[in-house]
Amino acid sequence: MNVANQSYPENRSENASDHSLVPPCQDACPLHMDIREYVGLVSQGRIMEALQVIRTGNPFPSICAYVCTHPCEDACRRSQVDKPIAIRSLKRFAVEFGGDRMVRAEAETKHAEKVAIVGSGPAGLACAYYLKKLGYAVTVLEAHSELGGMLRVGIPQYRLPREVLNIEVQRLIRMGVEIRTDTRVVSLDLLFELGYKAIFITIGAHQSLRMGIEGEESPGVIDGATFLREVNLGLKPSLGKRVAVVGGGNVAIDAARTATRLGIKKVSILYRRSRAEMPADPKEVEQALEEGIDIIYLVTPTIIKRENKRLNVTCVRMELGEPDESGRQRPVPIKDSVFIEKFDTLIAAIGQAPQTPSDFGVRIGRGSTIQVDPSTLTTNRVGVFAGGDAVTGPATVTEALAAGRLAALRIDDYLQHRYPLPVKETKEKLGGDLLPKTIEMIKKIERVEPPNLAFEARAKDFETVELVYGWEQAINEARRCLRCGVGVEILFQDKCATCLTCLRVCPYHVPYLDVSGTIRIPADQCQACGICVAECPAKAIVLRKPFDRRQVTDELGHTIKSAAESKNKPLIIGFCCQYGLYGTGTLARLWRGAKAGVSIVPVLCVAKVEATHLLSAFKTGAEGVFVAGCGEQCARENTTYWVKQRVAKVRKVLGSIGLEPERLQVFALSSTAEDPAEELDKFVEQIGSLRLASVIKGEVKS
Amino acid sequence: MIVAEQKPLEEIRRMIAPYQRVLILGCGTCMTVCDAGGELEVSFLHNALQLAQARSGDVAHTFYEHTLKRQCDPEFLGLLDEKTADVDVILSLGCGIGVQAVAERLPDMPVLPGVNTSFMGMTKESGVWDERCAACGDCRLEDTAGICPITRCTKGILNGPCAGPKKGKCEANKDMDCAWILIYQRLERLQQLDKMRRYYPPRNYRPIPRPRRITSKAGTMAGEGNG
Ligand SMILES: Cc1cc2nc3c(=O)[nH]c(=O)nc-3n(C[C@H](O)[C@H](O)[C@H](O)COP(=O)(O)OP(=O)(O)OC[C@H]3O[C@@H](n4cnc5c(N)ncnc54)[C@H](O)[C@@H]3O)c2cc1C
Ligand code: SF4
Ligand code: SF4
Ligand code: SF4
Repeated sequence: MNVANQSYPENRSENASDHSLVPPCQDACPLHMDIREYVGLVSQGRIMEALQVIRTGNPFPSICAYVCTHPCEDACRRSQVDKPIAIRSLKRFAVEFGGDRMVRAEAETKHAEKVAIVGSGPAGLACAYYLKKLGYAVTVLEAHSELGGMLRVGIPQYRLPREVLNIEVQRLIRMGVEIRTDTRVVSLDLLFELGYKAIFITIGAHQSLRMGIEGEESPGVIDGATFLREVNLGLKPSLGKRVAVVGGGNVAIDAARTATRLGIKKVSILYRRSRAEMPADPKEVEQALEEGIDIIYLVTPTIIKRENKRLNVTCVRMELGEPDESGRQRPVPIKDSVFIEKFDTLIAAIGQAPQTPSDFGVRIGRGSTIQVDPSTLTTNRVGVFAGGDAVTGPATVTEALAAGRLAALRIDDYLQHRYPLPVKETKEKLGGDLLPKTIEMIKKIERVEPPNLAFEARAKDFETVELVYGWEQAINEARRCLRCGVGVEILFQDKCATCLTCLRVCPYHVPYLDVSGTIRIPADQCQACGICVAECPAKAIVLRKPFDRRQVTDELGHTIKSAAESKNKPLIIGFCCQYGLYGTGTLARLWRGAKAGVSIVPVLCVAKVEATHLLSAFKTGAEGVFVAGCGEQCARENTTYWVKQRVAKVRKVLGSIGLEPERLQVFALSSTAEDPAEELDKFVEQIGSLRLASVIKGEVKS
Repeated sequence: MIVAEQKPLEEIRRMIAPYQRVLILGCGTCMTVCDAGGELEVSFLHNALQLAQARSGDVAHTFYEHTLKRQCDPEFLGLLDEKTADVDVILSLGCGIGVQAVAERLPDMPVLPGVNTSFMGMTKESGVWDERCAACGDCRLEDTAGICPITRCTKGILNGPCAGPKKGKCEANKDMDCAWILIYQRLERLQQLDKMRRYYPPRNYRPIPRPRRITSKAGTMAGEGNG
């Protein structure tokens, strides 16, 4: 049995009755993180648990929280409704408020085999982390004086505070990972001779591409990666007064913004296409413009001449022609559009490629990348694995982390002489776009952006620009998640009486009759509100996740059990929505038992409270029962309406057995009200006096 | 579809009072569709009865629940056998047919009706049903443009309208459309108003012996009795 692999999400044994589908955000994440789950936990204010989910899927979540390029957000289905969920910002909130820096990672060495990791970028560090957890002795060899690869020498500090990186590095050292800095590996044979049984090459892509123009070698011309490395390692390159940065990617933007922070007033970016084609993150471009950086589009330098310690840069204007193989329009020079600009420094940031020492003896392919088998990361040399930018060319931190994790698992397989298990995707993916009729019914809720450092304060130093959410902001943002793929299904098609109730009650018009007259609930449209589950007269519909299916019943069970243990019958049972108010802590006082005799059953939206749950609450002997939802603030449609229907039905039963119907109430608590709990207080009082009255009449014992 | 309504809780409690172990038996067809006795209603009633019992402190009943796909077919009832060994009474949430079918299958078991079987009808909107057919056994909808005067006219007259309708509503219930006005309008639309001008003799119910039996099997011998 492959014990080691069990702790990794990709191989987690799946509960057979879990019919949830993989949402597009998770599918787009190179680490395959359970985004829906942790966003859901944040929306309930359960930050520590959210952090736990995050840590299971990501070795260095706090780093990703700052710099991940968030492909998940690009795939997020909420963007079909309004704007995607701010997933990265929510992760940042969870790691900061959940106390990620306090988390202790522990590991013990249980295998005799030693593994060497060449390069300490995110791929190398992730591999070290997982191999150490698997029980191997690991040595990381790094050419520079400090660990982190591009996280240290590439990405500027205002986007990734070095303290965050240092915490992760310290954690690795505490786990027992051996570190060798200032050690450039030139040959792998020596490492094998030193007794390492496997080697993981993660040397990144640090060789800047050349522009291929006259005068490129002149003093005053520097490449982007080198410039950023020098600044990041504490050097202060002298740049003069006027700086040009050539390129349109993130490295170009980082170089320009870094130059601004070194005090350069006039920084211009020369980009040969237009803004629409710029590969840089639009948010970063926005921030660069705010900081006073000038971006000149459709221009490219053709000749550099150094005169009087300045650079005369001949430029030519471009226009967009036919699309090239990348699908973007190819820029072509406009005739007679040549002009000359003077700069003190020109930073060329047009891309990097890996540079692998030839003595490594590994096969090199397109774009100087190391060739590997993508599912095992093995190279042509036995025992030598490779991953990260060195294999893919310049990519992203998360892709490097995923490569590091995969390498750890495959190296483990290799050292334990196991046939590598193919990565099994047991769950179906959720595909398909939301239909217009579904979108129309989904409440539009504005995306909450985290605050930014005021831009006057920015350009002076390397302070972090993006700040973290406040508690309430984060919860409101997280509530926007559509919870793709955890909706409902007709689990018992043979029970379905085709009564059409689901089709009639669904606020989003999801269920439909197919041509054969069978009712269908398409997973890609269902909004997981749960209304139809409680209304289906045949009980044929269930939520796709076993946890969601049992949630209310289980929580009610716990409440009843703990009441029984304390020998105190609960006076009042309240089914309270966990989104919103409880999440923000506004009603937390009810939890603390400040109201003696009030037991809270936490529910994930009141629409999931069924009539029988209400009856069960009364069966425990409760004198009063209430349902408290978020009313207008609910992210779903009609939830209060349906819970009121069920309450009316149960009230009829109460009346017919001689109980006052007022003992059952629905509250729509709004966080905008002055005292949202006022109504609740009144109810508690009222039930208290009803009980007193029955004690006097001798109906119940006090 | 057959439409019914669950009996009031008080009545059900009175009926089951003499029995200790009660099986609440739902029906997965019509009673499910009309919200009277499907699995959801079975479990709701189960909980309501338990609550009533807990609050009143009367006789302690033990309740069981089960829902069959249909109570009106003997094969489905066969699935009941093992469920009934330890019960004293069956409270059927099937229609009147279901109750009788269960009783027929289990000669020694008391069977109680949990719903009032009301009519044959159709859905007006979610949770609302209207009567449409009286099962007269001699359908005349051809002459009345697909609108049944026997069910939908308060007086059930065959040569309507009477002298009473006001603004298209029935004189006995001003919220209800006059069936005969509806018939007139529809015949007019279909250009069959001549059907209005005919006289329909009173119907003779006598030749219909009850209970009726229908067989779809070809070759059944004439004269076979009902037994
Ligand atoms: C300026 C800049 C900004 C970026 N911004 C982002 C961003 O915001 N988000 C994002 O996701 N990605 C970003 N990236 C990309 C990201 O940093 C890389 O994709 C990622 O770091 C690749 O990780 P890696 O482990 O493969 O290699 P690297 O991080 O490049 O690490 C390789 C390490 O190997 C060492 N090394 C090389 N050769 C040897 C040798 N022979 N012996 C010993 N050590 C050696 C190097 O010194 C280096 O430390 C950015 C990149 C740059 C340059
Ligand atoms: S709405 Fe939520 S579950 Fe759906 S893709 Fe976006 S983050 Fe993922
Ligand atoms: S509500 Fe239930 S029984 Fe009715 S059609 Fe939908 S799934 Fe079938
Ligand atoms: S769970 Fe809600 S959104 Fe999904 S089908 Fe049922 S009623 Fe519609």
